[in-house]
Amino acid sequence: MTRKIFGIVVLIFCLSPLKAQDNIDLFGYYEAQYLGAKVKSSYYQLFTNKLRLDLKGQAADNITFAANVNFLTYHGRKNWDVLEFLTNDILSTIPEAMRALYVISFEDDIVLDNAYVKFRFKPFDLTVGKQQVSLGTGYVWNPTDIFNIKDPLDPTYEQPGHNALRADVPLGDASTATVLYSPEENWRYSTKLFQFKGRISHFDYHLIGVVRDWVFTDFTEFHPESMSFEATREKRRMLGASTAGELLGLGVWAEYAHNWMEMSDDFYELVAGVDYTFDFQTYVMVEYYRNTLGKSDYRDYNLNDWMRFYASEQKAISRDQIYVMAQHPATDLLSVGLIGITSLSDNSVALVPTLLYSLSANVEVYAYLNLNFGSEGTAFSKSQGNGALIRLRVYF
Amino acid sequence: MKKIFLTAVSIFMVTTFVIGQELTGDEIIQKVNDTLNMDTSHTTSKMTIVTTSGSERTFTMETWSKNKGEKNLVRYLAPSRVKGQAVLMLNNADDIWMFFPRTQRVRKLATHAKKQKMQGSDFSYEDMGSGDAFVEDYEAKRLEDESKEGHDCYKLELKRKEGSDISYSRLIIWVIKDNFVPVSIDYYDDKDPSRLEKQLVQSDIRVIDDIPVAMKAVMFNKNDNTQTEMEYLEVKFNMDLADSLFTERALKK
Repeated sequence: MTRKIFGIVVLIFCLSPLKAQDNIDLFGYYEAQYLGAKVKSSYYQLFTNKLRLDLKGQAADNITFAANVNFLTYHGRKNWDVLEFLTNDILSTIPEAMRALYVISFEDDIVLDNAYVKFRFKPFDLTVGKQQVSLGTGYVWNPTDIFNIKDPLDPTYEQPGHNALRADVPLGDASTATVLYSPEENWRYSTKLFQFKGRISHFDYHLIGVVRDWVFTDFTEFHPESMSFEATREKRRMLGASTAGELLGLGVWAEYAHNWMEMSDDFYELVAGVDYTFDFQTYVMVEYYRNTLGKSDYRDYNLNDWMRFYASEQKAISRDQIYVMAQHPATDLLSVGLIGITSLSDNSVALVPTLLYSLSANVEVYAYLNLNFGSEGTAFSKSQGNGALIRLRVYF
Repeated sequence: MKKIFLTAVSIFMVTTFVIGQELTGDEIIQKVNDTLNMDTSHTTSKMTIVTTSGSERTFTMETWSKNKGEKNLVRYLAPSRVKGQAVLMLNNADDIWMFFPRTQRVRKLATHAKKQKMQGSDFSYEDMGSGDAFVEDYEAKRLEDESKEGHDCYKLELKRKEGSDISYSRLIIWVIKDNFVPVSIDYYDDKDPSRLEKQLVQSDIRVIDDIPVAMKAVMFNKNDNTQTEMEYLEVKFNMDLADSLFTERALKK
């Protein structure tokens, strides 16, 4: 721990002179976060400190570089036992000797999250290095985004960087072709992506094709020699399309991706959304999501379904869900909102009241409650407990 | 010689007077539109919000505009919380994209997003001007001339056209006769045309590149009792701006 703090101090000390240079920009934020949860009769809390340091510079007229390092420390309950959130029916399928394996741990960390250089040539942009890859038009779910899974309770939180070589070729004012290669240990295992973006009238559209190696873990099979669960690596081929525009005064968007799997069952994902801002400033949004990896009957949810969901191998545990959000600026400094996430497959609901308060130009507080109302075994069951999050962020 | 000069001056004054008298509401608002929307412009401005708590929030932004406001790109420079966020508006803001640098995401927004407050200020994106909204979305009617903020002004009533989705039922505009700069605008409620919602007062009018510009504008919100001041720090007109500046590629720069 002392070494990490020392590392932060040394880094800030080293970066300070850079700030003084005209072509180097040093910025970021400090974030303090409290996560509390009441599960059955127990109260848990996890505190997180995050310092994000961003560096952006201009190496030449057409060359920029950017990087950020995240420093994370966790306090309180750093190990969360997933089994505490599961039903007795599922627990009864797990051998006693394996029960200690289903733990999600939060470890202090220093991460080089992004580090890339961007060349802006006249006919195309080339980005080399660890970079954010954001795909799709969905707000909460992005079927065409094979790189990231958003947290439905916090969908606008930044996503991690991915190591890639990316070229964006503008084809006129409204169209762009993108090719991306994300190298792994060899060509076969590496991710290849092609995307074409165009515009028809007031609609943007994207056509996308991706080949990526995908790992499904079998959380019922543990190998003591490798100290890991059995994992199946297979080729995932995805073709998708997305669009966003306006219809009858409403903002509308849709996204579809069909996935052909080498060994597992093929599946598809679909998103359709609509939003509107009323004259009294209230903003409402509805987004529907279907994922055929999810199950339509909650009595079929098994250990693998839950673990894959918690491990972000799949975006939802149930097949159909709907996300409804209303936000209103209560004052010029305070915005309040209410989110409802419903699993249409098992009729369970989570309600998430939110607030965002601006303490000063560069300091904001975001908080939400997570209240589950579903019956035992459903996606948002009461037995998963209720939670609260408070996040203070200071930008610099 | 002196006689000819005096005659010329008299003819000019009479002509100006007659033209002034004869200008219709539509003609005046067209001249306002032409004055506000140059072929191209590049500005750096500072927006200061006086919050309900009495404290001040300051934002600085850089704006590029082309084709008389048909294309606009706004990029926030400060504070750190919003630095790098950018908004691209094309086709008189019928097409809007917003770029969020922290997530590297570009979101296409529907036109209803124009009703949202700019960073919690008393200006909505719609108030910031979307090209020729005064001409396209309102019917203009000339009222009796009035003096306003120390200027001799034309007074116009602009009523929302049938089918327009603009947020205000009507506007009252005071236009300085000398230069067609609107010195004050009253914005009336969407549903109740008698209810004053906001009031804009412009001042510090300077001539830049032969174009009269109000360097300062204050928007008073009558509902929330707050105000936001917008001040130009730097203004340039009619320079060459490439179309490539108004693309998603430039938005993400």
